[in-house]
Amino acid sequence: MNYIGEHTFYADLGRLFVSLAVVASLFSALAYAWNIRTGDESWKRVGRGAFRVHALAVLGVVVVLFTLLFNHWFEFNYVWHHSSTDLPLQFIASCFWEGQEGSFLLWAVWQALIGWLLTLWAKEWESGVLLTVSSVQFFLSTMLLGIYVGSLKIGSSPFVLVRELPENIGLPWVQMVDYLQALPAFAEGNGLNPLLMNGWMVIHPPTLFLGFALTVVPFAYAIAGLIRGIYSDWVKPALPWVFTGVGVLGIGVLMGGAWAYEALSFGGFWAWDPVENASLVPWITLVAAGHLMMVEKHKKSATGITLFMTLLTFWLVLYSSFLTRSGVLGDSSVHSFVDLGLSGQLLLFFGFFVVFPAFLLLVRWKQFPKNASEELLNSREFWMFIGSVTLLLSAAQITFSTSLPVINKLIGPEGWIPLLSAGLAPPIEANAHYNGLQMPFALIVSVLVAVGPYLAWRSTPPHFLKRLIPSFLLSLLLGGLIAWGLRMSHPMHIVLVATTLFATLSNLDLWLRHWRGNSRHLGMTTAHVGFVLVLLGALISQGKKEHISVNQTFIHKDFPSNENMVLEKGDTTSMYPYWVVWTGERTEGKNIHYDLTFITSEDSVFHLSPFIQINERMGNVPEPSTKHYWNKDIYTHVTYADIRAEGNTDEWQRPIEATLKSGEEAIVYDEFMLQMDTLEVHDAQFTADGSAILSLNMQLHMRLKHMAGGETPLIARYSIRGDQVSFEDAIAEKEGIKVRFAAVENEEGTFKLQLWRRDDSNKPFILIQAIVFPFINVLWLGSLLMGFGSLLAVVQRLRRDKEKARRA
Amino acid sequence: MKRNHIVSLVVIVVLMVVFLATFQDASTYNTFLQAEKQKKETCTVIGTLVLTDSIVFQRETLLLRFTAKDKEGEVRTVYYNKPKPIDFERSEEITMTGYANDTAFIAQEILMKCPSKYADGKNTPATP
Repeated sequence: MNYIGEHTFYADLGRLFVSLAVVASLFSALAYAWNIRTGDESWKRVGRGAFRVHALAVLGVVVVLFTLLFNHWFEFNYVWHHSSTDLPLQFIASCFWEGQEGSFLLWAVWQALIGWLLTLWAKEWESGVLLTVSSVQFFLSTMLLGIYVGSLKIGSSPFVLVRELPENIGLPWVQMVDYLQALPAFAEGNGLNPLLMNGWMVIHPPTLFLGFALTVVPFAYAIAGLIRGIYSDWVKPALPWVFTGVGVLGIGVLMGGAWAYEALSFGGFWAWDPVENASLVPWITLVAAGHLMMVEKHKKSATGITLFMTLLTFWLVLYSSFLTRSGVLGDSSVHSFVDLGLSGQLLLFFGFFVVFPAFLLLVRWKQFPKNASEELLNSREFWMFIGSVTLLLSAAQITFSTSLPVINKLIGPEGWIPLLSAGLAPPIEANAHYNGLQMPFALIVSVLVAVGPYLAWRSTPPHFLKRLIPSFLLSLLLGGLIAWGLRMSHPMHIVLVATTLFATLSNLDLWLRHWRGNSRHLGMTTAHVGFVLVLLGALISQGKKEHISVNQTFIHKDFPSNENMVLEKGDTTSMYPYWVVWTGERTEGKNIHYDLTFITSEDSVFHLSPFIQINERMGNVPEPSTKHYWNKDIYTHVTYADIRAEGNTDEWQRPIEATLKSGEEAIVYDEFMLQMDTLEVHDAQFTADGSAILSLNMQLHMRLKHMAGGETPLIARYSIRGDQVSFEDAIAEKEGIKVRFAAVENEEGTFKLQLWRRDDSNKPFILIQAIVFPFINVLWLGSLLMGFGSLLAVVQRLRRDKEKARRA
Repeated sequence: MKRNHIVSLVVIVVLMVVFLATFQDASTYNTFLQAEKQKKETCTVIGTLVLTDSIVFQRETLLLRFTAKDKEGEVRTVYYNKPKPIDFERSEEITMTGYANDTAFIAQEILMKCPSKYADGKNTPATP
């Protein structure tokens, strides 16, 4: 059967590339293994060729998938599910990695490119390193296969047609030759998740996955070292890759934070969500591994733990990929992927690369060099070791808390071995839980960052302490000032402010005064300063964030006061130190913007417009709006708005009618008296024969009296222009009553009136949350410095090595 | 004692503290009945929204009242003193963290799962 308009050629091409990628990577791994075993150089060349074929095939898969997406060929399930024709061009890229298949592909293509570079640069390490890289690539490529062996599903292909989905097979429309033209459902795709339609989501995933992909390099070098029995020298070629990874992954993680801050509305840049944690933890251990590798390079005294930390980093990358893709987090995270039924395959992938390297590490442990003497307390290597252990503990804490759903699966009431009587749910106060436990680690690490660079390998002359005095005293002073200025009360926070300042100042001092601004150390100094500024910025902006929208209404002791504020349209509400007015809403494309005006006491005004993205297919999402100052951000988002009631927001309710003569009065709405006074007639023009009115303006003067005293004069107007009748209603604002002069009755001097009462409960309102984040720019500045500092350090090291090689 | 031993000992102690703290902070997954047996103790109940009952959100108090059914089919009134989440009615499953009192379940945190937000193959395009 030939379906009309399908592009099955591309499906076949894509599948062909996937199969080629799988076969070539397997072949490459085997060829490299054979080269290691036999020493036959020709097999190395075969392995290299096979790997390059593999890399080109992966690139081919990427090109085909992009072709499908750019052309909006909705017969493809992936295209239908993740894109739509109304998407701006740059978001097509986000569609690419919205699904699991695409994100596997993104990971695989980075690793393929890195592997290619390794075939050029790894020299004598090539076989050992590429053996691991191509094995990893083999497992990753099979994730894209989408074939069934018996009832076992291997991988999930992005090239499946909608009509080929298991749930559609056998349905009548599948028999239609022209289903693409005939069924309206295929004219438009499901579209991209509205939350992903954000600039950060175009660059965050590729950066993050490049960071993940880079961790395979030290992993591969470590395994190669273990295989070859060279337990220390593998660190030298691996180090530049590690710190490239630290820079890229660090920036990638914080880009995710920037996206969350701009597009999500949980009120901050970090929420310790399992998915965020899963990306942070490998970065922490990668930093630890990198520092241990420097110890190993200089001293060969940390062989075992260096190898372990390096392997662990990649294990954690695999584990985080398992957590986010297996559906295990379903109950505890809002943004994990949905289970594609690949958990088994993921576990196998994970297990393979844990079991074999771990086995190798244990078997070889006895052969590692033993250092006869202990490191001295004033040596750089000892404190680098302590710092790495601290980072490891910090990573362990985050991993353990994040893994509660996994622990449930293992020993929960419905798990394998039901040890627990009730399943464990994530900590309720996630921020308090993680922040509380992480702060001591941050404290130790920041002190080590402050002091560490002053220490020399082996042993440091004691005068280094004297060098630290100025920055130490200055940080105490500045820390005290900041704590006082921001009214910080938590002792741990104050200490951490001081230690992070200490680290910043001591590194700057070291570089400027003792290294005399030598560019040789610029990268390291920048990265260290950047890292502690991230800590400082996070601490101040989170620790001293202030909800200025606080609803103090007392309901019951069970319900604490609320961090949301009711804004009624047009009313001015106090939100100290601002006055806020909700001026109205407007629709812009898919978004309903809620315009807020913030007025400060000094007569300065700014506007914010948080919005709700209306997406019928995927659900509506609120997105924040933030006013940035150099020293603080004012962040707002709509927490409640009645979208559906739009157009039905008439505040005038309870209509009544009354017929009155001049001078008469009537009781209206139980508590008011409406008194007719006089009628004024203006501009009366009649047709020549006097039978019809051409134009007429009438003003009815009334008084609205309250039973308790006090009256309000009202004027309602009635006018005729040709055959058009128009009304100008009289509104008594204070009383909330509207009067319309509806008609003149036939009887002389009798008027028909319509009245409405304002119904306050129907007055349109929204709820907003407004948070002030002080000094959040310190965090963003720090992350930039940290990322670029790490990369700069790599460039400088490579340049130095090259120079050394030239001189030798 | 060698310094490495001291470090190892410290590591073990810290790990123990961390694990215990995690178990301390973690809440548990329960049903409404279990939650009522341990009143005022925080736990997490997963359930679904009963759409046939009224869902009331009062703006003066910012209090949301709705009815939920847990996995065992128990039905309870739930109070939540935060704004009604956008698209609340469309949720497929709600995870409520809070505690039971004499008359109702007081939710402090609500996590909704919307079926369509993440592509899951459930909404296929063509069902003519």
